[in-house]
Amino acid sequence: MFATDDTIVAIATPPGPGGIGIVRLSGPRASEIAAAILSGPGNLEPRRATLTHALEPSRQRSIDRVLATYFPRPRSYTGEDVVEISGHGSPVVLRRIVESATAAGARLAEPGEFTFRAFLQGRMDLVQAEAIHDLVTAVTPRQARVAFDQLEGTATAAICAVEDALFNVVARLEASLDFPEEGYHFVDAKAAGVEVAELADRVRRLIASSRQGRLIREGCQVAVAGKPNVGKSSLFNVLCGVQRTIVANTAGTTRDLVTETIHLAGIPVTLVDTAGIRATSDAVEAEGVSRARGAVEAASAVVVVVDRSRVLDQDDRVLLRQTEGRSRLVVANKRDLPTAWSAEEQLEVGSGSPLVETCLIDGSSADTIREALLGLLEGKAPGRDPPAISNARHIGLLTSAETALRRAAAAAEGGATEELLLVDLEEARRALEEVTGKRTPDAVLERIFERFCIGK
Amino acid sequence: MARGFDVIVVGAGHAGVEAARAAARMGCSVGLCTLSEATVAHMPCNPAIGGTAKGHLVREIDALGGLMGEAIDATGIQFKLLNRSRGPAVRSPRAQADKRRYGAWVAAALRREAGIAWIFGRVGRLVERGGVVAGVELEAGSGAAAGERLHARAVVVTTGTFLNGLVHVGDRRTPAGRAGEPPSHLLAESLKGLGLSWGRLKTGTPPRLDRRSIDFSRFEKALGDEEPVPFSFLTPTIDRPQIVCHQLHTTEQVHEMVQANIARSPLYNGRIEGIGPRYCPSLEDKVMRFPHHERHHVFLEPEGLDVDEVYVNGCSMSLPAEVQEALVHALPGLEDAVMMRPGYAVEYDFVQPTSLARSYEAREVKGLFLAGQVNGTSGYEEAAGQGIIAGINAARAVAGEDPFVLGRDEAYLGVLADDLTTRGCLEPYRMFTSRAEYRLFLRIDNADLRLTERGREVGLVGDRRWARFENRRSRFERNLRRVSGTTVTLRNGRRARASQALRRPDTMLDELTSGGGLRLEVGSGEEQVDVCSVETHFKYAGYLERQAATIDRGRRMEGRRIPRAFSYAGVPGLSLEIVERLSAVQPETLGQALRVPGVTPAAVALIGAKVGGK
Repeated sequence: MFATDDTIVAIATPPGPGGIGIVRLSGPRASEIAAAILSGPGNLEPRRATLTHALEPSRQRSIDRVLATYFPRPRSYTGEDVVEISGHGSPVVLRRIVESATAAGARLAEPGEFTFRAFLQGRMDLVQAEAIHDLVTAVTPRQARVAFDQLEGTATAAICAVEDALFNVVARLEASLDFPEEGYHFVDAKAAGVEVAELADRVRRLIASSRQGRLIREGCQVAVAGKPNVGKSSLFNVLCGVQRTIVANTAGTTRDLVTETIHLAGIPVTLVDTAGIRATSDAVEAEGVSRARGAVEAASAVVVVVDRSRVLDQDDRVLLRQTEGRSRLVVANKRDLPTAWSAEEQLEVGSGSPLVETCLIDGSSADTIREALLGLLEGKAPGRDPPAISNARHIGLLTSAETALRRAAAAAEGGATEELLLVDLEEARRALEEVTGKRTPDAVLERIFERFCIGK
Repeated sequence: MARGFDVIVVGAGHAGVEAARAAARMGCSVGLCTLSEATVAHMPCNPAIGGTAKGHLVREIDALGGLMGEAIDATGIQFKLLNRSRGPAVRSPRAQADKRRYGAWVAAALRREAGIAWIFGRVGRLVERGGVVAGVELEAGSGAAAGERLHARAVVVTTGTFLNGLVHVGDRRTPAGRAGEPPSHLLAESLKGLGLSWGRLKTGTPPRLDRRSIDFSRFEKALGDEEPVPFSFLTPTIDRPQIVCHQLHTTEQVHEMVQANIARSPLYNGRIEGIGPRYCPSLEDKVMRFPHHERHHVFLEPEGLDVDEVYVNGCSMSLPAEVQEALVHALPGLEDAVMMRPGYAVEYDFVQPTSLARSYEAREVKGLFLAGQVNGTSGYEEAAGQGIIAGINAARAVAGEDPFVLGRDEAYLGVLADDLTTRGCLEPYRMFTSRAEYRLFLRIDNADLRLTERGREVGLVGDRRWARFENRRSRFERNLRRVSGTTVTLRNGRRARASQALRRPDTMLDELTSGGGLRLEVGSGEEQVDVCSVETHFKYAGYLERQAATIDRGRRMEGRRIPRAFSYAGVPGLSLEIVERLSAVQPETLGQALRVPGVTPAAVALIGAKVGGK
């Protein structure tokens, strides 16, 4: 863990040149150190932007003209005394301001250290601290929106609501045990079991919402597969919107995996173009085919491209069979040519997954494919409401909470008495509390905070 | 020449008698200071021992070699096992006591201890030199040994509600520790000079009625168990005839009378500052705080076989005597009852137990121990549970030995000490099973398996109890092997291992022993405990394993000790509030620190980093 009694400093804006760059100081000596490195007499006035100069350690020469603001504790980002110094966004200038601050006694901050201090000071809970990380690393607007909602406490609220309801059941069960002679009816074990089953469903729904949340937060990988020369690379290029891979009429043009990340309605999707999958004796091609199979295995969804102007052959059928049951989109390409498929074959190709017919040479099918792919990734109910849960740590804990709740509900149905149900209910409570950091072991904390970048 | 003892115990209530007996059994010379032999182990409130979680405490006190279990078994007049319909972990014995016989039994037991000298008088001052206890001084004119100074190497203070006690009945306020008994003012002030932190609490008791004026045929009967379950592991069976209690209910009329007179209740007109227990509300509180309840239970409990006083359980109050009398007469069936004495509320000073270590020794004064209601608890069982541990530790302090501390995963006694010294008291503290996170382990059927060996190690368990326990433990172990090694026929005709069959909620051990071909070994007069501990071992197996995993995780934190006089202000990142709380409590381990109210896991992680070790 970090030391937390000293004053830390770091550049808070991204590396590289920019219009403005900010250096942030936090800790008990923030104000004193700011006074030492800024021109002008005395300390900064709280919560007021002051135009001044940042000085070299010798105080002989100015580094930059800056705007400095002092936020006294506890009403600051970290809950400690904070000074923010905005200079011109030159990496060299900002680095020199930081050096001045360290010369005056500040320590260079570790990644995530500002947010860690905010957490320690109770300025935010764990979910919110994690959301800050998500917010600053968001690539798509939807990612930013989900992260911001979590920062605003939507995830915390959703989990706390379940926690409250659970605590209510627990309290009544405990009361039944501890006050058996009071004559008041608290709750019997069977009835509590029914309530607990409902809570398990609520947790289940939170987890279900996380599927979409994770998709937005983490994105996914989609492999484009098919036998040679059916139009995989054309499809890849249409989706990327650029000529990313070489397209030729020669079968087996793509030998290695080609990847490109696109944004599909705010979801980062890594597309993988693969070599045509067929039985082959060429050593280089065989390696390509083997990599293609690997990519298909690893992807969270597969787009299988089939040429509808040619009769289905063994290679098509093997690939279709191998991807059966996967999250899959079948693209029947070359709509511009007459189909070679019988009605049965058409049915065979379309069974078990969505099917779109396309013509990839002119790009007119791009929107159709995007829509079908998005539908595939988001599942049946594309999210209108932003999902509350998107973080793998939260999902893991919610899943253990649900397991414990289900176990309690089943035990209650089987006639188990209160004190036994309470073992599982306590386990569920512990898992829920761990999400928001009320009972997080320090190892988890370290894990969470080590992922931050400097200055946030 | 001033008299001197190894240990002086101030007070002979439920805490004091256990402390004195434990220290004497461990070889100390003990001076037991009390005002009168008539009030030894007195029950000024409810004439009953046990109840949920409290019954557990009594079993544990007994398993360690204490008095309370045998005392109530010998003098109880109605026994009942609570929570029978629930699992064995939450079953708890309760008994109505013949309160006079109970006190006399305990006094006689103490008189048999050669190491105990009786000192009748009021202790006025604690003598201390340089942070170390030196003895006590008796108040002038307070009895046989007035004005005398008694030397001691350890002092156990068990003064209950006597420190600056103030009894309220309506507007009448009388300085008293209990009705009719003067309080301890000098001792309170002497203790306050020692740097302990203090608070003020309140408790109350209901009016007593004359048995001869009540027609009991008008009430519902409240019966005990047909086969009483004893408290003590040494008691084979209880075959005395049991008395009948009676039950009635309050009415709307009674509630209206309380409301009409509420301004005359010192609880509601601001005259009482002390905080009362929420779990044991006065009649005033019941009516005012739960207006949606149409009626409340009232039990009529005789205070003994040949005593005329009847205890009106559920009606503790501090209204003026004439209002109390009118209220009693408004209860259906009690129109003609004679009130022998009114109920009252008592306010008293208590030591905030966060000033104590888990051995009940004051952190600032070596050799000073405090136990019982003076530490903010309520209940005879909680008092006795502190008394025995404080007595053991006083004796160990005299011998220069390490404190004897039980863990939260070992005993309710451990939960009690840890809760009190870590969290302190905001209201009178009562034990509940829900306070024990390892509840499934802490059962009445295994209290001896958990604690008797510990009691033997400290020298409190005598040879008779030890021999009996060793037999019982080896029987238990053999029975476990039998159950694991026997295949039985189930009701549905299938064959299964007895240990597996018992995991089903509807299969009980007696079914397997009566028709299934399983034979258990039981000791004479010990069937109950023998069967229950074996049955539970298998019935709870899955849950116990899960709870055991939690205990292991918890132990790592409990094992990381925080040095004495650790400076929390020197831990970077701790908020001022947390530094203040931890400095006041001075937890002994990281696990304990985490239980201090308001202390976050992040804060404990920071302290852990400073303390080091894994």
